[in-house]
Amino acid sequence: MSLLLLFLDELKGFAKSKIMIILWFGLPALAILIHFIQPETEDFPITSLVTIVVSSIGSTLSSIMLSTSIVNEKNNHVYELFLVRPVKRYSLLISKFLAVYLCLIIAVGLSLLVGLVIDGITVGIPEDFLDLIFDSLSISLSSMAITCSIGIFFGVLVSSVAAAAILSVYLGSQLSSIILLPTFFSETLDPVLLALTIGISATITIMMINIVIFSRKQF
Amino acid sequence: MSQNSCIELHNVSKSYKDLLALNNISFSIEKGDVFGYIGPNGAGKTTTIKILVGLIPNFKGEVYVNEKHLSKYKDLHKIIGYHPQEVGFQEWRTVDHALKTFGRLSGLNKNLLENRIQEILKFVNLEDVRYKKIKNLSGGMIQKLRLSQALLHEPEILVLDEPLSGLDPSMRFQIKGLIKDLAKSGITILFSSHILSDVQDIANIIGILHKGELLKIGTPDDLQSDFQVGNIIKIEVAKDSPLCQGLENIPEIEKVEQLASNLQFVHLKSEINLDLIINQILKSLIESKCNIRNFSVVKPSLEEVYLKYVGGEVK
Repeated sequence: MSLLLLFLDELKGFAKSKIMIILWFGLPALAILIHFIQPETEDFPITSLVTIVVSSIGSTLSSIMLSTSIVNEKNNHVYELFLVRPVKRYSLLISKFLAVYLCLIIAVGLSLLVGLVIDGITVGIPEDFLDLIFDSLSISLSSMAITCSIGIFFGVLVSSVAAAAILSVYLGSQLSSIILLPTFFSETLDPVLLALTIGISATITIMMINIVIFSRKQF
Repeated sequence: MSQNSCIELHNVSKSYKDLLALNNISFSIEKGDVFGYIGPNGAGKTTTIKILVGLIPNFKGEVYVNEKHLSKYKDLHKIIGYHPQEVGFQEWRTVDHALKTFGRLSGLNKNLLENRIQEILKFVNLEDVRYKKIKNLSGGMIQKLRLSQALLHEPEILVLDEPLSGLDPSMRFQIKGLIKDLAKSGITILFSSHILSDVQDIANIIGILHKGELLKIGTPDDLQSDFQVGNIIKIEVAKDSPLCQGLENIPEIEKVEQLASNLQFVHLKSEINLDLIINQILKSLIESKCNIRNFSVVKPSLEEVYLKYVGGEVK
């Protein structure tokens, strides 16, 4: 009950935040911009390119937003009022993660739609477009989930807003690339399946670490 | 355990690494009491309060609320309303949204909540800012919002951590008034402050905490009479009346201070029989044909008592 309530509440908060407005309007605008900057993408549909670029920018921004909001809320003792009510500590973190992740999926979805429209008008939709979209979306969503969970990790761990933001930018993006790392060593591995497996397991592991650290915090 | 007790702490201690924040604190608060918990900053007031509301689960000692052990009290949140010292709100929320969230999390029904929020905002006089964003509220309004969220679920016990701190005089007066109203309604209140005047005219029991130790607990009268700073007798006579003469000759009197043409303060030596000396002073007054308007034993102010206990370390 409290998880659902907190999730809807956080969703409302994040959806109204400036970063989310940038993501929802800025990222689709970026998709259009990519088309004009790089019209020669040969056989590579703009949709796939957009998905990768947009998810990378979006997940970095979301990670910063998560880490800085958690640090701010910790420093301002926001959680005390939640924790004196029947609210589990893990609900606070999971609700934040799910709210931001959902906002991010919406932003990427909107950009993807714009990319599809551009592709439809310019080069036409390729036959294997569904496969291409699925591949790039799977990789992007996995990477985004890891980046968001790392954002929460730094939010929970550090007490400086600046440190949380810097660590999220540099380490968040770097660490999320682990989903593709094994494919460099073996060509037989399916990158999509690998990305999904690593993405889900890494996100769950990092979130569990986050919950353990957060549960030990003294408020 | 007292049958009427609402809150009981037995030998409660809490350390943060090498720092002993609370050392064997024991006290009890009865139903309907207004307990003023005073002490300088860092005395351990917030630690005690956080233990009581369940925010600090690891401590030594026993705490009972309504005769139930704190660790076994699953519905503690239903009976305690907590006003934290420096809690912030998520500033993107409006007052209404914040109260709705906290109300729902406290288990209040959606329909009931709407009326309850209206009732509370009227009580704290925040109706006009109900749909304003929290980031646009003044410090005093935020303090009232803190109080509002604590009252939403109509708790039996209200725990207020420094509710008057950082407020301008007008807002202090308003919040103090609200606390007095709540006290009159029979709710049990524990509230902390590092300023004695904040608690002295509201609390019926005062606990003085210093460096993690509860130095004294009692009614304001108990505290004053237990801690005689020095007996002083105030004598006020009519404007056209002569002042009492010859008091200096009484051996038990240390000095006589004339503060106005009709006002004298008689300082008595320590360890004297107060009743005996009062009789002697009254006899002198009658002999001097003074028209007495006021004759009273001046007790030390609570402020003096407090300062004596905490060794003048009030910050």
